[in-house]
Amino acid sequence: MSFDPATVAAYVDGELDDLTARRIEREAETDTALAAEIVRHRALKAQLAAHFAPIAEEPVPERLRALLATRETVDTSLAARREAKRWRLDATHWGAMAAALVLGITVGTRPWAPTPNVATSNGTLIAAGPLAEALDTQLASNQPAGADVRIGLSFADKDGRFCRSFESATLDGIGCRKEGRWQLERTLQGQAGSDYRQASSGELAAAASAMMAGDPLDADAERAARDGGWRKK
Amino acid sequence: MRFEEELIELLPRLRRFARGLARDANDADDLCQAAIERALKSRDQWQQGTRLDSWMYRITRNLWIDDRRAATRRGIHAPIDDAVTQIAGDGAAEVEAGTLRGDVDGAMARLPDEQREVVMLVLVEGYAYREAAEILEVPIGTVTSRLARGRETLMNLLGEAA
Repeated sequence: MSFDPATVAAYVDGELDDLTARRIEREAETDTALAAEIVRHRALKAQLAAHFAPIAEEPVPERLRALLATRETVDTSLAARREAKRWRLDATHWGAMAAALVLGITVGTRPWAPTPNVATSNGTLIAAGPLAEALDTQLASNQPAGADVRIGLSFADKDGRFCRSFESATLDGIGCRKEGRWQLERTLQGQAGSDYRQASSGELAAAASAMMAGDPLDADAERAARDGGWRKK
Repeated sequence: MRFEEELIELLPRLRRFARGLARDANDADDLCQAAIERALKSRDQWQQGTRLDSWMYRITRNLWIDDRRAATRRGIHAPIDDAVTQIAGDGAAEVEAGTLRGDVDGAMARLPDEQREVVMLVLVEGYAYREAAEILEVPIGTVTSRLARGRETLMNLLGEAA
């Protein structure tokens, strides 16, 4: 491996200039030790991101929120009533969410109770929860506007497996279908909604094109692959 | 946007950061509460147009460090999981790879404070090295070396996930 560990880490953290980043990517295509090192770093990042993400999805405790309650509103009783009303609405929301979960229509909604998007199986990272569901069912050509997970490209790799790139708030990556699961081949920390989105999308697209055999699936081929259960071509 | 409203928007992320530092959920929210109170008191020191998030993270981190130092002076040591202590002994480096597979909290608990805060800022919160250095008020080289050591320990304890 001709890159030192600090450079590999900086690459995974998006801290390298474009030129060096591209050199690493090119070398990783033939240098398996380097590729493995990159995967190892990405897996750690993904594991940490998946572990801590649910905390940011929890409702903020009232005692913290109260410290920042609008002070200029003279009528605090009104503010308090509004706050109480808001919480009641949240409770109603919960009911609707529970119903949605039962009906299995969670994709594109925002489940209040966070489900981890990543799990491990025999030491391999696999998609779970809403991410797995989005990879299973969501079509790139027809995505709900506020979907938590956005599918990028769907394609067949050199082994004939179907792979799909995705972006979400906490995790971006590429999942490939293997033994009925989505194995996460590439993972990047999600940057949804930030200025870095473009850079991250570019990196994913580059990774996808390196893995791809032929062209990405068009809308019809994607639908056919989904309806066929993403079984190998 | 008003100062308070911006702070409210930051709270979910700030709670996550505090949880990574303090580990215990109640301690973490106490830390957030102290940080919000400090921010409201010293809001004049925040310059409009600069990043409120970095400023808040710095306040939170400094309060946590103060608290840790005070606890050390009082002779209180943060409880460490007994099982981990038995396995890990004094140095995490001696631990067999993958000992804490899947136990992110346990692995994070093994990191020294100065590595844990860098891991949280860069690997979890997604700050650039330079931004993390500014929050922590240390040189960028300190960030990268602490991050490298923290990473190595975590990857060793958690085992190869891929």
